[in-house]
Order: sequence, then C-alpha cells, then structure tokens
Amino acid sequence: MGVETEKIVELTISRFDPETGKHYTSSYKVPVRKGTTLLEALMYIKDNLDGTLTFRHSCRMGICGSCAVNVNGKPMLACYTQVLDLKENRLLIEPLSNMRVIKDLVVDIDPFFEKLMKIKNYLVKPEAEFQKPHEFLQSPEDLKKFWDLTLCIKCSICYSACPATIDERFLGPASLTANYRFIADSRDQGGSERLKPMADNIWLCTQCNSCTLFCPKLVGCANAIVDDHSLLVETGDIPKTVKDVLESVYKYHNPMGTNQSKRVDWAKDLNITVFPETKKADILLFTCCSTTYDARNMEIAKAMAFILAKMGVSFTTLGTEEWCCGDHILRLGEKGLFEELAAHNIEMFRQFSAEKIVTLSPHCYNTFKKDKPYSDAKLNVVHYTQFLAEAIKKGIINPAKPVNRKVAYHDPCFLGKRNEVYDQPREILRSLPGLQLVEMKRTRQSSFCCGGGAGRVWTEEAESEKRPCVDRVKEALSLGVDTIAVACPFCVTTLEDAVKVLDVEGKIAVKDVLELLREAI
Amino acid sequence: MEKLTHDVIVVGAGLAGLRAAVAAAEVSSKLDIAVLTKHHPLRSHSVCAQGGTAAVTNPKDSFDLHAFDTVKGADYLADQDVVEFFVKKAPSEIVLTEHWGCPWSRTPEGKIDQRAFGGHTFPRACFAADMTGFHEMHAIYGKAKSYSNIKFYDEWFATSLITDQGAVVGLTAIEMKTGILHAFQAKSIVMATGGHERIYEFTTFSHTTTGDGMAMAYRAGVPLEDMEFVQFHPTGLIPSGVLITEGARGEGGYLVNANGERFMKRYAAEKMELAPRDVVSRAEQTEILEGRGLQGPYGPYIALDLRHLGEEKINERLPLIRDVALKLGGVDPVKEVIPIRPAAHYSMGGIKANIRAETPVLGLYASGECSCLSLHGANRLGTNSTAECLVFGAVSGEEAAKHALAAGLRELSQEKLLAEEARVSAIAARNGDERISVLRDKMRRIMNEKVWIYRRGDQLEAGLKEIRDLKKKFVDISVEDKGKQFNTGLLNALQLDFMLELAEVTIVSALPRNESRGAHSRVDYPKRDDQNWLKHTLAYYTKDGPRLEYAPVTITKWPPMARTY
Repeated sequence: MGVETEKIVELTISRFDPETGKHYTSSYKVPVRKGTTLLEALMYIKDNLDGTLTFRHSCRMGICGSCAVNVNGKPMLACYTQVLDLKENRLLIEPLSNMRVIKDLVVDIDPFFEKLMKIKNYLVKPEAEFQKPHEFLQSPEDLKKFWDLTLCIKCSICYSACPATIDERFLGPASLTANYRFIADSRDQGGSERLKPMADNIWLCTQCNSCTLFCPKLVGCANAIVDDHSLLVETGDIPKTVKDVLESVYKYHNPMGTNQSKRVDWAKDLNITVFPETKKADILLFTCCSTTYDARNMEIAKAMAFILAKMGVSFTTLGTEEWCCGDHILRLGEKGLFEELAAHNIEMFRQFSAEKIVTLSPHCYNTFKKDKPYSDAKLNVVHYTQFLAEAIKKGIINPAKPVNRKVAYHDPCFLGKRNEVYDQPREILRSLPGLQLVEMKRTRQSSFCCGGGAGRVWTEEAESEKRPCVDRVKEALSLGVDTIAVACPFCVTTLEDAVKVLDVEGKIAVKDVLELLREAI
Repeated sequence: MEKLTHDVIVVGAGLAGLRAAVAAAEVSSKLDIAVLTKHHPLRSHSVCAQGGTAAVTNPKDSFDLHAFDTVKGADYLADQDVVEFFVKKAPSEIVLTEHWGCPWSRTPEGKIDQRAFGGHTFPRACFAADMTGFHEMHAIYGKAKSYSNIKFYDEWFATSLITDQGAVVGLTAIEMKTGILHAFQAKSIVMATGGHERIYEFTTFSHTTTGDGMAMAYRAGVPLEDMEFVQFHPTGLIPSGVLITEGARGEGGYLVNANGERFMKRYAAEKMELAPRDVVSRAEQTEILEGRGLQGPYGPYIALDLRHLGEEKINERLPLIRDVALKLGGVDPVKEVIPIRPAAHYSMGGIKANIRAETPVLGLYASGECSCLSLHGANRLGTNSTAECLVFGAVSGEEAAKHALAAGLRELSQEKLLAEEARVSAIAARNGDERISVLRDKMRRIMNEKVWIYRRGDQLEAGLKEIRDLKKKFVDISVEDKGKQFNTGLLNALQLDFMLELAEVTIVSALPRNESRGAHSRVDYPKRDDQNWLKHTLAYYTKDGPRLEYAPVTITKWPPMARTY
C-alpha cells in the first residue's frame, strides 16, 4: 500500500542553535512521492534523520498558521505545499524573514501578535447593544463585503515578506487588514476610534503587494490597506507629507507641484512631437511625472527618445495634456482624485486614438492595465522593457558598445510582483556587451521593495536604517556590484537616495535599464 | 524552581479554554487569570472545526428535540440532565460569539443561518461557511485578549498537575522558549486541552493535540470516564486524514461505493448520509471489508461526491473543503469525487466532570473534548462539540472563578515539584536505542489495527499487550535534542508518554464492555446490552494500570429505546 517514491529531493535547512549562537546549514535527502507536503518532508527528517531539527507545526491543513517557512526565498505554509509542485530537486528552507530566529525554523512571533493587539479584534458598539439577547442582523451581501478578509490565519507570512515592517512602528499587513475587516463589518461602530492606531504608521506601506502575493489564504491585504488609506484621507487625519502630494496633484495634476506647462521641458533640446499637434505616431509614449519633472530622471526619458529615434519609431507624447497616471494617488487612498486623473488621460487616449502606449514607469503601466476606469478602456499598453526586449530580439536595435559594469538588477514591484515582468529587463541587460549581470539574493517574486510605492517616495520620514531602500542598497553592496539597474524612475530616486545616505557614491551607481542600453548604442 | 501564582489557570487555549478564560474574567475583574497553552492559542485544534455549532434558534425547533437527538445519538449513554442544561445554554453562546464579531453565515433576512447535520432532526447547525471553529476561535481570542486580567502563557507545555489532599494546588510547565520548568500555584485550574485521537494512525487530529491534559488529570487521581468511546468520522481525506466536514453531506453530498451505489440506503434508509457518525462510519467500514470500496494507491476508499451541488454552492458553503481537497487530496470536488474513509476524530470520554464542570478533585475543572460530563455518551452528534466547548467552557470558567474567590492558595509540595523535575530531566537525558517516532508510529498502528471501528475481545487483548510492551520500551527512548531552548524532541517524548498512557486506558476501558453501543462496536457482542452496560466506565490510575469502576447514567425524560435511523 502507498505510493512509490517519485524522486529524492535534497533539503538544505538553515539552522540556528541558541545554546551556542551558531548559524549553520544541514542537508538531507528526502524521498518524495505524489502528495508529500513540505511539512511531511520536514517531519520525515525529524523522525528518521535528525531528531534535533526544530520547526513548528500543528493542523497540517493550512488553517492554524504554525508552519510558515521560506522556501527558496519565498514564504509559504509547509503543510499546504506539495514538494513536487515546487519542481526543484534542491530546496533551501529558511526561517521567515524579518523575525528573530529562536531555533532553526522557529521564529519569534511575539512582535507580530503584539501589533495585532494594537487594534481592537472585536466588534465595537455602544455597551447597551451588547445586552440584547439576539444576534445583530447582517445581510449576506454585507457579510460578503468583509468575508474574504476574515480568512487570515495569522501565519505572519505577510509580516515577514513586508518591506515596511523593518520599521517597527508599522503595524504590518495582517493587523491593518484585520482593522479594515472590522471597519467594513456592517455591525461595527468603531468609527474613527479604529483609525487611530494606524494613522501615524500606515503610510509606511509601499503597496509592493508582497503580502497579497504570498498570502496562503489569498487575502487581499494590499487592497485592504488602500481602503484604510481612503478612510484616513476622508477624515483628513493624514500626515502633512501625504497632504502635500495630494494637493500638488489636485492643483497641478502632478505630484511634483510643477506647472503642467513645463511637462515637455525635458525634451526641449530634442526634436520630439507632442499631442495635439501630432495626431498620429507608431507609439504614444507616456512619460511619467518623475521622468519629465525630476532633473535626474529626465535622463531616462531622454534615453528613451534617443533609442526610439535610432529605431526609427515615430512616437509622440501627450505633452502638457499628460496628467499624472494616478497610481500613487489611488494607493494613497484618494480614489476621487485618481478617477479625475484617469478620466482625463482616457479622454486624451481616445482623442489621439492611441494604438499602442509605452510607459516609462511600471506604475503607469500597472494602473493602465489593472485599475478601473483605465482597465475598462482596454488600452494596448506595454512597459518599455517589454517593447525594447522585443526590438532587440528582432534585431531592430543592436547594442554594440561595451558597457563594462557589474550589475545587479532590482525588480520593481509594480513591474515584477504586480505584473510578472521579470525576464524582459534581464534580456535587455544580457544583450549589452561587457555587462555582467548578477542576481540579488532577494530576486524576482521575492524582490525587496525599494520603498517608493504608494507615494512613499515623497513622504519618506523613517530613520535611514529603517528605510527599505537602504536595506536594498546594502544587499547590492554585499554582492560587490558597481551598478544597480532598475526599470522604474521611483526606484532610481529611492535607491540613489540610499546610496547618498550610506555615502557609497564612489562604489555603486543606480541606473535605469534605459540608461544602460543608451550607453551601448 | 521558579514559582508563578495566579487565582485561576486555564490549561489549553482552544474554544473551551478561551471561553473559560473570558467567563472567569467576567466573574470578577479582580481575579488574576492565566491561560497556559503549548502553542499559540490560534494554533489550537479548535480552528479545524468546520461544519457548525448546534443551537436551537428557530421557533420550529425545540430544546426537547435537540436534547432527544443528542440522547439518541449518544445511544442513551449521555447524562440527560447535562444534555438538557446544554441545549438550553447553547443559543446564548452563539449570540455571544456573534456579538464579539464571529462572521456567521446569514439567511436572506440577516439572521444566523443553519444547516442540516447528521443525527439532528432539525437543521440547527449555525455555521460560518465551513470554517466555524476557526471563526469562533478568532472571535473569542480577540475578546479574551481584551481583558487586562487575563495573562497568556503561549508556548508553555504543562507537564503535571500538583494535588494535595484531594485538592488541586498547582501545576508544572516548561516554557518552550527557555526550556525551564516552572511551578504554578493556583486556587482553581481548568483543563481544556482537547482529545487524544493522535493515538491513532488515521485521524483528523492536529499533530499537537495529544491528550496531555487527560493524562495529567488521570495521573493526578481523576478518573477518566468512558474512554472506550472514540468517534470515527466518516470522511477523513485520503491520504492525510484531514477532516472533510459532515457539512459536505449536510449540504447534500453523497457517499458512493465502487459500484456507484449510495450504499447508506442499506444502513439508514431514512437518514441516508446524514445518519449519526457511528452509523455512517460502520457502513463505510462494512462496504470496504466486503470488497465494495474503490481502489486507490492508499488502499480501499469510499467516494464523497459533491459534484451535483455545483461550483457556486461549493464555493459559497464549502470553500475550505474545496481548497483542502485540491491542495492535500489532489482532487477538485467540483469535477471529481473526494476519496475518504473513516478517521479517528473525537473522544466522547475524558476527565470525569459533573454538570458544573467540577472534577472529583477540588478546584480542578474540565471542559471541552478533554472532559466527559457526559454529554455525548457513546456517540457525539456533529456540531455538538463546538457547542459544548462554548457552553461548558463558560461553565468551567465561571465555576473556577467562583471557587477562586472563595478559596485560598495552598502550599505546593516541594517534594512533588522535585519529583516532577526529576521525571522530566530523566526523560530529557534518555539516550536509549528506541526512536520516539518509531514507538509513536507503532502505537498508532496498533490502535488502528486492533482498536478501530469494529472491535473484538481477543484483538483488544493483543493490542493491550502490545501497548504495554511499548510503555516498557519508552524507558529506552533517545531524546536526540539535548538543548534547553525550544526542545521539540523532549516535547515529543513527553507527549508520547501521555499518549501511551491514554492508549492503555482506552483499551482497558473497551475490553470488558461486552456490548455494542454507539461508537464502541464489538463484533463478538453485536447488541446493545442495557441490562448490564447502561453505565459509565471510570478508569483510575494505578501504577499497575487502570482500575475500572462504573457509575450510573442519569436518565430524566428519555428511557432507552431501539436506535434506528
């Protein structure tokens, strides 16, 4: 009886012995058959190979939240993961990140739960209501509004994957989601009381989406945090930094607070065409507020213009009619303002009858693709990395000049985690002669956010050691690279800032992939 | 040994334990209450409860109907005064959890919805989709954490109860993080540590639910009642044994054999798949034994067919079941049948306690699955266990609190503490030839082969001998992990020690009961025998093994009748 072993998988496990303070790894060969879960593999080791291996486990059905570990850099529940589904012969098993290791795979979950207890995990109503001997009525429709958020099993995966939790003030995705679960519960009357514990720290969320991506119960934490943001914006109880960003966009239609008339100043030495004068072009280049107004990031836009010209592709921009895409604004919770921006841009796209839109920023790309009303307009939009990787493959561009750099590519969250564009930026970099590409330890889906999303690029106020960008640059430095390549203007801003904070400007540079490609042409 | 003192200590933080803590805190804000649990409260096995919680809330239903269903389901071994008390208390517990935030599934009118469940003649299972226990737990945990006079000791493993002249005075527990054994002194202690079905190989139980509290109470002199009555749930997912809720059949799921036949028509023509669990599990086992099981890589099985319910209903009412079947069974219930067979699921027996959750030891209370009040008699109805945890969790907390307000602390005997310290250190130091996991697996195999759904005197005797051999071998185990901090090797050894004790009690209790009643089915004694066996078994600890006594069953309204479905 039983199923035959399909293969032998080698598990390398990160160990920590608290008695000696020693970190080390142990490797074990585990027979795996169809149906073997990662937890069963760990138990096989403990039962048969090494009785000292230490990990938590209990329900073995994905509901108690005990057994979360990192597997090849990604956090998951060991009991809810089939080893064969991982499609690897070697697995690196590590304790959850961002949490103190007690022993082997056991981490200290106290800080996670202490933060959860900062919110009220029960219904708040006037005391008299609770004296009623019957249930509070709730329609199935009202239940549906928060049901999905009740599925959180408090496994702390989101907390461990979250870049904002390196600042201990941040309550973390699970707590903020739990808070919104109660706010959205038609029975609850907690009102503004519920907003207090998060008002001063929720803005540290970068909307990188790691929480949602790795949640074993598919809880939409990132969106719940946006909903929390919206409530705070509504009350006006928001930090001045956030208020300033929103007011700039409200007044000037861009978060930089610069007059729209300067929108094409970046291209004043270039011979480019703009809408509405130009009514037809191969592509519509949506430039992004950062690459048009930020002096440093204009270089990215210029590189794009140069490369497009080399390719012989005709392009135009919306010129002064390009308004902020609104991605940061939406994720800061100002949904009304976002809709206004979106309505304008969609109307411009319609008037131009844009057949193909290319964006410089993953944020514009993401919101055009994913967020209503943009998504309803079914725009044909690509990020520039997709567009140019294709062109290189077809031989339309030929990067010939050597780019003698050792480069680590940092996956921007809105390109990678949110849109699974991992390969094209790397394909471009690999096509550059002389360039040596190295992978970050935390890469692709496990990439560690630069800390710039959801407006944090403009609202940053954390101590330098607690800024995700500083953490990330340190990681790149440990790889011995001289350049961090990114494909997002906001990553350029935050990471360059971290380079300055760490005072390593002589050691490492931050470049957009476009700038590196430009060097090769 | 460092000593910590509280007025009330609740051991275990599942539904019963957390409910007890809240109830105690409600009695007086002056009481110093501790909740001690070997894992984080939200990791407790109660989160695995799926289908629902029974309560009479519909005017067309009645307390008497719920009580009678329970008594009949129990094959008349339940104490009827306890049953009558229980059914009356259950509805207000549902309201309380609702008030704390439990997201109960709703009717179109906005009231708490109810579904059908096996052995209940009215659809009275309140449910939160198919994650009822999970949602109740999270609601009560949130509430319990709001009391400033409840202190939580998460990841503290209790090893023994300390008694003195018929009263409980404290306990010992290991703080997992440091590995240090501490003494706790208390006026009242509530045991709420869950069942012991991890003694079986194929079980719905969480890995960590190993019956520790039952064994601790037993060793402290409290009798374990009706331990021969182990419930086998009809639908354990193959190969893991993970629970597939009875709610799946409550929503209309079929059980089908290899001939594609809904075989329940031959065993319970009226109730079909919704007959009580003992009846359905026996039917499945018979189908398998007579060669009508489907054949799979893990041996014969029965098919649970939900396909006719449709994707929408499955997603709305049984979302966890679909996810679990996909992730752990490799089948999508929308398109395929779910392979299942009976799995050890619940202990009707446990620490003897009365209607006020008092054990025979003064100051010691028990509630939830570790207790035997006796509410479930020889067979528990589905959804009565979460209801019991709430109702008697509250009773135990309240009674323990009242006792603590009236009683004083008693001295912890230094001698007893040192003896316990020596016992634990000796186990930790063991370097013998026996692997803990091998002994554990042997125990579980023996229980599966010889103390399963159908039992026979000679097999029980053989099983008892084998379990006793394993108990002897336990002294030769090896605890490989010699560290202090978070020593799960020592934890496994201590748990195995408890489980071997409970396996022995289970078999010793089953052996003399020469009748078939509820979940205890003797092929050598296929009939119920009210003349000789309408009585509770009480197993007392002695160093030579359990000594049995018997106690009468309380009958109030419902004299025993033939039990058909």
